[in-house]
Amino acid sequence: MTTLSSKTAAPRSVSGWRSPQAKRAFLTILGWSVALVIFFPIFWMILTGFKTESAAIADPTLIFSPTLESYQEVQERSGYARFALNSVAVAFGSTFLALLIAIPSAYAMAFLPTKRTKGTLLWMLSTKMLPSVGVLVPIYLIFRDVGLLDTRTGLIIVYTLMNLPIVVWMLYTFFKDMPKDILEAGRMDGASTLQEVMFLLLPLTLPGIASTGLLSVILSWNEAFWSLNLTTSNAAPLTAYIASFSSPEGLFWAKLSAASTMAIAPILILGWMTQKQMVRGLTFGAVK
Amino acid sequence: MRDSLPMKNTSATPLGAGAKRSTPSGGLQAWLPRLVLAPSVAISLFFVYGFMLWTFVLSLTSSRMLPSYDFVGFGQYSRLMANERWWVASTNLMIFGVLFVVICLAIGSLLAILLDQKIRQEGALRTIYLYPMALSFIVTGVVWKWLLNPQLGIQAMVQSWGFESFRFDWITDPDMAIYTLVIAAVWQASGFVMALFLAGLRGIDDSIVKAAQLDGASLPRIYWRVVMPCLRPVVFSAVMILAHIAIKSFDLVVALTGGGPGYATDLPATFMYAHAFTRAQIGLGSASAMLMLGGVLAILIPYLYSELRSRKHG
Repeated sequence: MTTLSSKTAAPRSVSGWRSPQAKRAFLTILGWSVALVIFFPIFWMILTGFKTESAAIADPTLIFSPTLESYQEVQERSGYARFALNSVAVAFGSTFLALLIAIPSAYAMAFLPTKRTKGTLLWMLSTKMLPSVGVLVPIYLIFRDVGLLDTRTGLIIVYTLMNLPIVVWMLYTFFKDMPKDILEAGRMDGASTLQEVMFLLLPLTLPGIASTGLLSVILSWNEAFWSLNLTTSNAAPLTAYIASFSSPEGLFWAKLSAASTMAIAPILILGWMTQKQMVRGLTFGAVK
Repeated sequence: MRDSLPMKNTSATPLGAGAKRSTPSGGLQAWLPRLVLAPSVAISLFFVYGFMLWTFVLSLTSSRMLPSYDFVGFGQYSRLMANERWWVASTNLMIFGVLFVVICLAIGSLLAILLDQKIRQEGALRTIYLYPMALSFIVTGVVWKWLLNPQLGIQAMVQSWGFESFRFDWITDPDMAIYTLVIAAVWQASGFVMALFLAGLRGIDDSIVKAAQLDGASLPRIYWRVVMPCLRPVVFSAVMILAHIAIKSFDLVVALTGGGPGYATDLPATFMYAHAFTRAQIGLGSASAMLMLGGVLAILIPYLYSELRSRKHG
């Protein structure tokens, strides 16, 4: 069937393959080879985390006796859990706050647009194009004066500011795609604006909101410019921890790999479980 | 619940189609959108643009460790112009930015075309291609620092296979180190470009491609002449987001090369950080931040403008 239809579509075989099956098999192998190359660095890092320090710098090999030594040492010597907790608190806290502020804004833009809605949105997004160093000194000075340096609250505030334009914009595109009739129907049944949002809009756009939230969590989880500049130890998340780990002790590859693996594991697992949302979120909603 | 909604909807639409909302609180309704929008707009614009203005003011002062408001005109800027390290950092950003964007677009579009051939397990492949994008630049830096290390990484691996003369030690070479940043960043972001392009390819009307095939056009020709022009808006968003990543890739430098060897891989962001914080030169650091901002705007605004204008026409 496939052979037939592709033959009728293309009178001349497009790339000179004897059969579409052979072509497809070749492309599948090619696709997986590329995937292997792309995934190799991550795979190698995970592997190195299970080696001893001396095995990590010996000749590269796939055969070795795995050990949890590095993981134990990372936890014992530097308290990995504390940094992980900071990362969780900051990523989810800022995502929650950003959604809380952005949902009403996106609602207003999508359902009650004015002449200036598009312009406002563009201006908000334009702030993302500006380098963060341009606002670093003022934020640092203010944080120092009000005692927000090296606090989770401070990081949550900064991350919320950082992600807000993207969150508003993504929610706006998702809200706009929703059929207006459904909201109309809700209104006809006497729902207030709040009820309309809570019981119609949010449940129906939940996949979009989840993608947006996941993107915000990933961006905050991975952020390093602000965490390196605004925290020292108390509120330092995993990114700052790994960065600090890598400079003075750069030669301890097994421990560094173990620490990095623990830092990316939640994202890799969460991402695999929610593939669709992750792809959609990471492409800023471009993939439906 | 979900299933019952459209049902209700179909019965209500004919009646409600023309009826506008008739709540008594019309005054509040008119203001509500602006009210709920205000926090987001105020936060984005005030904090970003307001603070940039503040940075600009600081760049005109002689601030060192603490901000002082002793104005010295454009003195910090002329000091900056005389600073060789600043020129290295700016040139690096240009090299890095251009190569990063161009290579990502090239690899990303090839990967998208590959996945567009209806191969099996496309969903899983797409997720794997996109995985690096979900990682922190810090982790990317750590991974590549290891792979690029001549004694441990790719060079050692290939040499252990018997190719003793194989050399890949760019990271220790001041002239080549900047390209290691490009490699790591391309690894991270090309899967993202792939996903964007793939979504764009799926949005293209099949009949256009079929028609070109009937005319006997070869596959590469179809993609280059027929499909790619349709993807112009996708290319535009990809370039904007890649440029944004290039501009903010401070963390990659910190984790991968630390700006070294020497200051060979400094970027304006790391230059600014080094001067404003570790060397207590807030005035000079602010001036460098403003110049970087100016450079970014000078490149992005014409592109933004030409794209948006041509889109309106065509």
